[in-house]
Amino acid sequence: MTTSSPPLKTSTSRLSSWIRRYREFALIARDPVLFMSLLFCGIFLFIFVILPLFRATEGGFFNKEGLFDLRYFSRYFDAYYGPVMRQVFVNTLVMGLLTATGGTILGFIFAFAVVRCKIPGKNLVHWLAMVPTVSPPFAIALSTILLFGRNGLITRKLLGIVFKPGMNDVYGMDGLVFVQIITFFSVAYLILRAMLERLNPALEEAAESLGAGRLHVFRTVILPLLIPGIAGSFLLLFVESLADLGNPLFISGNVTVLSAQIFLAVIGEYDYQKASALSLVLLIPTLLIFLVQRYYVNRRSYISVTGKPTTGVIVEKNPIIRWFFIAVAYLICATIILIYATIIYGSFSTAWGVDFTPTMRWWEQTVTRGIEAILDTTFLSALATPFAAILGMIIAFLVVRKRFSGKEALDFSSNLGGAVPGTILGIGFVMAFNKGQNVIGIIVYAILALFFVQMALTNARERIIILVIGTAAGLGLKFFNASFEDPTTINYIVGGLYLAGAILGLVRRQKTTALGAGALGAYMILANLINYAAEPIAVYSRNMERGFWSNAIFQFSDHIKVIFQPTPSLLAILLIFGGVLLVRGQKSWLRWILGTVFLAIPCAITFYDKPWAMVGSPYIILMAFIVRSLPASVRAGVAALQQIDPSIEEASNILGADAQYTFRKVTLPLILPALLAGLIFSFTRHMTSLSAIIFLVTARWRIVTASILSEWEQGGVSIAAAYSTVIIIFVLIAIGVLYLVTNKLLGNRSDIDLSVGA
Amino acid sequence: MYLSLKNISKVFPPRGGATEVTAVNNVNLEIEKGELVTLLGPSGCGKTTTLRMIAGFEFPSSGTINLDGKEINMLPPNKRDMSMVFQSYAIFPHLNVFENTAYGLNVQRLSKAEIARRVGKVLELVQLTGYEKRAPNQLSGGQQQRVALARALVMEPKVLLMDEPLSNLDAKLREQMRTEIRHIQQELNITSVYVTHDQLEAMTLSDRVVIMNQGVIEQVGTPMEVYRHPQTRFIADFIGRANFVKGKVAAVQNHGLTVEIFGKTLTLADVQSSHPQGSEVTLIVRPEMVSVRKEGEFSAIVRRATFLGNYIDYDVEIGGQMITAVETDPMRMQYFPEGSPVNLQFASACIHILPKE
Repeated sequence: MTTSSPPLKTSTSRLSSWIRRYREFALIARDPVLFMSLLFCGIFLFIFVILPLFRATEGGFFNKEGLFDLRYFSRYFDAYYGPVMRQVFVNTLVMGLLTATGGTILGFIFAFAVVRCKIPGKNLVHWLAMVPTVSPPFAIALSTILLFGRNGLITRKLLGIVFKPGMNDVYGMDGLVFVQIITFFSVAYLILRAMLERLNPALEEAAESLGAGRLHVFRTVILPLLIPGIAGSFLLLFVESLADLGNPLFISGNVTVLSAQIFLAVIGEYDYQKASALSLVLLIPTLLIFLVQRYYVNRRSYISVTGKPTTGVIVEKNPIIRWFFIAVAYLICATIILIYATIIYGSFSTAWGVDFTPTMRWWEQTVTRGIEAILDTTFLSALATPFAAILGMIIAFLVVRKRFSGKEALDFSSNLGGAVPGTILGIGFVMAFNKGQNVIGIIVYAILALFFVQMALTNARERIIILVIGTAAGLGLKFFNASFEDPTTINYIVGGLYLAGAILGLVRRQKTTALGAGALGAYMILANLINYAAEPIAVYSRNMERGFWSNAIFQFSDHIKVIFQPTPSLLAILLIFGGVLLVRGQKSWLRWILGTVFLAIPCAITFYDKPWAMVGSPYIILMAFIVRSLPASVRAGVAALQQIDPSIEEASNILGADAQYTFRKVTLPLILPALLAGLIFSFTRHMTSLSAIIFLVTARWRIVTASILSEWEQGGVSIAAAYSTVIIIFVLIAIGVLYLVTNKLLGNRSDIDLSVGA
Repeated sequence: MYLSLKNISKVFPPRGGATEVTAVNNVNLEIEKGELVTLLGPSGCGKTTTLRMIAGFEFPSSGTINLDGKEINMLPPNKRDMSMVFQSYAIFPHLNVFENTAYGLNVQRLSKAEIARRVGKVLELVQLTGYEKRAPNQLSGGQQQRVALARALVMEPKVLLMDEPLSNLDAKLREQMRTEIRHIQQELNITSVYVTHDQLEAMTLSDRVVIMNQGVIEQVGTPMEVYRHPQTRFIADFIGRANFVKGKVAAVQNHGLTVEIFGKTLTLADVQSSHPQGSEVTLIVRPEMVSVRKEGEFSAIVRRATFLGNYIDYDVEIGGQMITAVETDPMRMQYFPEGSPVNLQFASACIHILPKE
């Protein structure tokens, strides 16, 4: 429904639109769990997507003293810096264009070979094409250097080329583009394959019956129908290429691109203003393309990708065309096998390029020295995975099934975090969470407190008084607690209060209240008690002989603390939500007491110390992981939910089940494949992410991808290869386990489609 | 009154540049216990929205809904003690026939034995005994329909709601299910609201038909009432086929009146509505009320004649107007080809009169 002339914006229509919005939220607020989910997603996306991106771009306009300053933007136009700055920008665009073109062509060849050419070993070809998506970001660059570099196995050993200065070697634009094409072409392959499979063969048969030759049909029917897919994958590859940090750092040689320039501004020059300014320059094209892709290309598609594949696919009859596509696909498959074999072998060779005899030395070093990074990465990746997948499903559910204002914004920002270059997000995280700006704390507390009184209490008088008293008491509590020698005392007090609430719930036979309060109380107290478990473990590991086990056990003691000692900011959010469930529906006098207490406590915690100073803590890495992998989960969830008839949920509802029972017994089993796919994608994305977390890694919390980079810089080629192998193996294990779980859970159900959301 | 809708309206807020839509406008409806009422109307007439408000999936913008003496306006669907058969069946694809049927009983946490007993009984009723372990995708369309029906019936609901339940079946099966649903509904004496756009379905199934158009109720009545005495031109056109003939009241008698059509007079006996002499009226003439013969009062010309076996379908031109006639009388089965001059006779006892619009 489109109307040509927009209605006049009178004040009454604006007022009525606000009334409508309020009604919509009031309708959602009738279901507290639903409203909480909505609010939680909103707050999460605001703090961890919008805010960092804002900080990352705004930082370029202000110097260290906080004064407005356009120094780095004007450098593009100045005589001294200008040529270099502009060259970098041009390099970036050239790289993006070449990669996007090459990747799309290769993706099309693969898709055509798999769908139309009856390629022998179809499944193997498919899986080989997918391998680059699950490997660490510079595995391919690393391997390409090992094969074709100055000391490369092929260039030096087999061809005997000796590189002299001035010769064109693998470093530079050509090598970079080759590596990026191999890394990213699978994106184009997946998109174009889906489109080719859904191309109605009747259209081509119709064209042929009208006398068109094969080439003519291709030009006039197939190609125009695929244009949206080709345009889509071209744009996507362009963005991926621009955002890529790992490959340029390894292989770009003298050619600098924007992402690497940003990285060097932070790591080399420690100049956040410069990094921010460059981030904005990089963000503009990527954001533009993201918008074009989302609002233009996707809506111009002639072929519905959500429908079932059409039956009866046309097979290419011309043997020359058929074998040409098959040959190219096989060649690339062979290259991929060679690349990964090289990485694995590289980790065993004594000194690459000089002495290829196998040794276990590098693996021993990797395991003893690198176990910290390996365990930290795996632990944080695994911990972030369920949160990312569940958050993704909740957002998908809200977006597909519910009506509310700001839905588009929710959908958009959930995708934004994964779409922007990771470097920009990483810089934003550092800038937003380094000092613990209390502004965030105040905003978040204000929203949460309003939510709390709205949901938990029943009338306006109660709401206002408890809001004031609770906040005042909370601030008082904060100063009171500040005078304690040991700030953890508050955990005992608060935990005790919640446990008391649980006992009260038991006495009054309110099962949910008792359970919720008991869990929260236990969690608060465990935050302290866990130290008594973690400390001895740490001490024990210190007394062991230094090596794999001592490191592993020491890490374990750290990891269990991460689970039970969240930063105060996250804890406060959790407690507010818990509080609503406890206070809601209590008797009047109890509401007064409990309302005040359960608002005061989170308030005290929110403003205790610097709750949002998260840089250096593992939580910021967790959040970066979640933000990066969220889009894949959301897309998987949206695709799954859109295929489920809403009447199925309504049927459950009218048969007596409430929203929660329906979600558990109907929606969840039906979106389980999507949830599992979301889990796989999330875990893979976490394990292999580099750009977003490279600035967040500390000595205490190491990430393997960052270790690969530092090993590489120090010349530890084989150790870098060993780390890469570890990541690949871990990801493959995770995928295997999830596949088994999926098959076990879903039995022989035929509707499992793990490629949803890819 | 068992289920009543008082002044119910539903306004959907504007979306994406469109204006707000009044889907249901001030609807009043009363339904007796054990009655089957059909909401009939073209698509977009508000019948499904009305049903969804009764179910609780939408809340009315204004007005009240009462069930069994209690207001249920803002009660969520799961608290209403109703059940519904959906157009798409909405069978849970991950549960088998037994589990699907038992779903609502499981929500109520009934004992296993009780659930098995009730599910067994209702599956027998819909003739699905022996299919308990089948997965939904192993069932035919008709069988899926029966599962959807069984799942709703097993709840022994206060009101059974059906949203175009037969629209996905082929014609033969639809006919069979139609009689079956009516049979079960009468046997269990279950209060039902049935939404359809198929007038034949409404006629066969209903105790009363509610005809809706553009969000308002045009007429409520038994199938016979709405066919014989449509209150508006829309209804006459929507239910069955109708010719609209302009006329003028020439004289008013005790139990009828004389009207002037096509320059001649026609005396209608037994007309309920009172139209003053001289007023302009519209006559609703069903095709089967027009007989085409060699001689008669109204001369006309055949413009189209289609032989359909058990009847002949004519378009005839009379006084510059096209009239459709259906000739079914086997005694007079004479075929007049296109262009033949004929005479028409009207079954004046059945003609219904509306004031001129």
